[in-house]
Amino acid sequence: MKRLGLKSTVLATATALISSLGMTSSIAFAKQTTLNIGMASADAGKLDPHIATTTPDKGLLHWMFNGLVRITPGQSNPGLIEPDIASSWTTSDDGLTWVFTMRDDVECHGEYGNLDAEDVVFSLRRSSNKEQSSFSGDFAAFKSIEATGDYEVTITLSNPIPSLLGTLVPYHGGNIVCKDAVEALGEGYERSPIGTGPFMFAEYQPQQYVRLVSNPEYFRGEPKIKEIFYRYIPSDASRDLAFQSGEIDMIYGRQDQTWVERIKKLPGTKVAIMSPGEMSMISLNKTVAPLDDIRVRKAVAHSIDRERMVMFKGQDVALPAVSVVPEGYLGYTANVPKYEFSVEKAKALLSDAGYPNGVTIKAIHTSLPGMLSTMEALQSLLRDSGINLEIEVVEHATFHEQIRKDMSQVTHYSAARFPVADTYLTQFFHSNSIPLKPTAVTNFSHCDVADAEIEAARTEPDPDKQLKLWATAQQKIGEEVCAVPIYQNLQLWAWKDTLNLGFEVKGSLNLSPAITEISHFTE
Amino acid sequence: MSGFVLKRLGFAVITLIAVLTIVFFIVRILPGDPAMVILGDQASQQSIDLLRKRLGLDRPMIVQYFDFMSGVAIGDWGVSMVSGRPVISEVLKVLPATLELTFAALILGAVIGVPLGVWAAISRNTIVDYLLRLASLLGLSSPAFVSAVLLLFAFAIYLPWFPVISSGRGTSLGARMNDLALPAINLGLIMAAYITRVARSAMLEVLGQDYVRTAKAKGISFFAIIVRHCLRNTMIPVVTVVGLYLGILIGNSVLTEIVFNRPGLGRLIVGALFQRDYTMLQGMMVIYTLLVVVVNLLTDLTYGLIDPRIKYS
Repeated sequence: MKRLGLKSTVLATATALISSLGMTSSIAFAKQTTLNIGMASADAGKLDPHIATTTPDKGLLHWMFNGLVRITPGQSNPGLIEPDIASSWTTSDDGLTWVFTMRDDVECHGEYGNLDAEDVVFSLRRSSNKEQSSFSGDFAAFKSIEATGDYEVTITLSNPIPSLLGTLVPYHGGNIVCKDAVEALGEGYERSPIGTGPFMFAEYQPQQYVRLVSNPEYFRGEPKIKEIFYRYIPSDASRDLAFQSGEIDMIYGRQDQTWVERIKKLPGTKVAIMSPGEMSMISLNKTVAPLDDIRVRKAVAHSIDRERMVMFKGQDVALPAVSVVPEGYLGYTANVPKYEFSVEKAKALLSDAGYPNGVTIKAIHTSLPGMLSTMEALQSLLRDSGINLEIEVVEHATFHEQIRKDMSQVTHYSAARFPVADTYLTQFFHSNSIPLKPTAVTNFSHCDVADAEIEAARTEPDPDKQLKLWATAQQKIGEEVCAVPIYQNLQLWAWKDTLNLGFEVKGSLNLSPAITEISHFTE
Repeated sequence: MSGFVLKRLGFAVITLIAVLTIVFFIVRILPGDPAMVILGDQASQQSIDLLRKRLGLDRPMIVQYFDFMSGVAIGDWGVSMVSGRPVISEVLKVLPATLELTFAALILGAVIGVPLGVWAAISRNTIVDYLLRLASLLGLSSPAFVSAVLLLFAFAIYLPWFPVISSGRGTSLGARMNDLALPAINLGLIMAAYITRVARSAMLEVLGQDYVRTAKAKGISFFAIIVRHCLRNTMIPVVTVVGLYLGILIGNSVLTEIVFNRPGLGRLIVGALFQRDYTMLQGMMVIYTLLVVVVNLLTDLTYGLIDPRIKYS
């Protein structure tokens, strides 16, 4: 064999070096296509979109599913609904019959084929089945759901629901699942969900991550981001440090002013403060003394200084609450009784009610630090008026069980819901939602003064009349002081500024920023 | 010796049954409804009741107990109430990570703790002894999550030598060692602090023995006395406490697992407790009980290796 001469060897080596430099250069300039997201959760829960209710699970499923319609990405306003799987729809004059024309190019992930009307019918029936769905209550007015063509679905209602489209966005029961996949996978579906969205489930590692990959068949085009690692990092400190070190590109933030200020200082970081906010509210059980006296409830309302509470939480992350329905929700009104902060008025009311030396009220409360700190701040404010708030702190699951057994006089709750007044009013202030009833949800105050308005608004076809009914409901609830709203806690996320989501992020129903086919890294 | 081992394993079965029975009933007495945790706070009472029925939680407790125990007898530990995934597969997925971390911490702890304990004993009541005892006290007093965060700041942020997320998923040995380093150092230093104190006490006791005085009188070098005559006798109490601590370490690694984002049994059990995942908790108890039994058995067998006078029959 002829050996290479020295000259040839040097030439070959030089060529190899130059080539590797070129490769290195091109690698250095190749854009990132894997997105690492850090979420504040220990692990995945149920990954069935018709069951998942936790923020971490909903945030993940958001990128895997479509609805018949959707809210414009980057927004949470239900007034910004646009086509998704359905390309168009019509409604009868009486608002009872809705006909949706679907796209014919929507493909289920994997080998589950084209999505047609049968799939949509199956999916919506599944969502409305209380044995299979956490959200069946949203479909109470659905009388029938039929496939009236290969790509046409007709929904008939028992009464008009002007917020029907809101029920069909990919949030809760509106997420469309593929019939063949659900039937084939059975109980395994919640471990490997199949949707139609821009990203597909690929892998799950317990306590570590769920990996999604881009859907090459996505009807809006293959996503530019090829892979998402949704990492479960329960420790706030670890999540922030991982973001700082560059191991994570996007993180769920702590709802805290100090977090915002610290993360904003990191170079190359974008912080998003998103709606819908979680309404922090204390419900006063008006069937139990001393809260059965409206003067005592009014005294509680007058004792709370919302401005100071917002400053306590952080002016970037909280908004003072006015009505029992969060601001920004369809149907919200600021025209409600306002109980201005006044220790003198509170004391006078207590004295009238027969408590000149003060009164004691009790609350069972969760040990979750974010909520407990709020309650402790309220305790301090109430003390100034002579209201002694005794807080029994219990672990979170215990808290939820005990408040649903109606064991607490005062219940502090922090929650976001679909941003329509009906959802909030029904769950928190309709008498059907009172604890211990079969239909119980979260009406801890036992409020029943606005049932008629809530029910009438739900089925009112005239939008102006509907808004008036919702406004009246909020005014009555305010006059009765069923609950005292404190502030709205906004959702916080941060990401590297090399990540371009493709739209401005103002909100997201699913509480995670929308990542779509147009999202990409600029470097 | 095989008789001794078989007898111990026999006792282990009885221990397992007792532990499982206690855990089974205690978790069900705890307040908190798994169905409510799974379905979330927007679910109606009807949905919650239906799920309870589907999970079999509406049956009498004694029926649930016998159902569970008969499953354990044939190796069926059930499925997680929250995730729907088989308990045994969830446990086996994270068990290697826990064992890896625990034994790395043990090795580090022993390699650092034993020499330092011996040195402290030899240097009794000198500045070296005081400093080592102070360091040991600091190590024992520092909460694991505080030292973990400090290690991350120092060696993952300011000196970016190691990753923040120690996923334990590296495919090469180098990558796995890189992931394991900081969590193992965190737990290892705590263990070293503990072993230092025990080794110091044990060595001091041995140094006061007559045979050590005799060896000194015969002119044997100090190094030879320590290594050949004292060290082995020091190891019996050290092995005892290491064995005891190992069982605790497996369970108490949860804070380290959380801060370094490692999978592990500690995180699994804490998560199952918060979510009221009864089947996962029960399955975890089987594993923990077996691990503690095996560790105790290995500890006992190690005595025989150290001290040839100890025989098992």
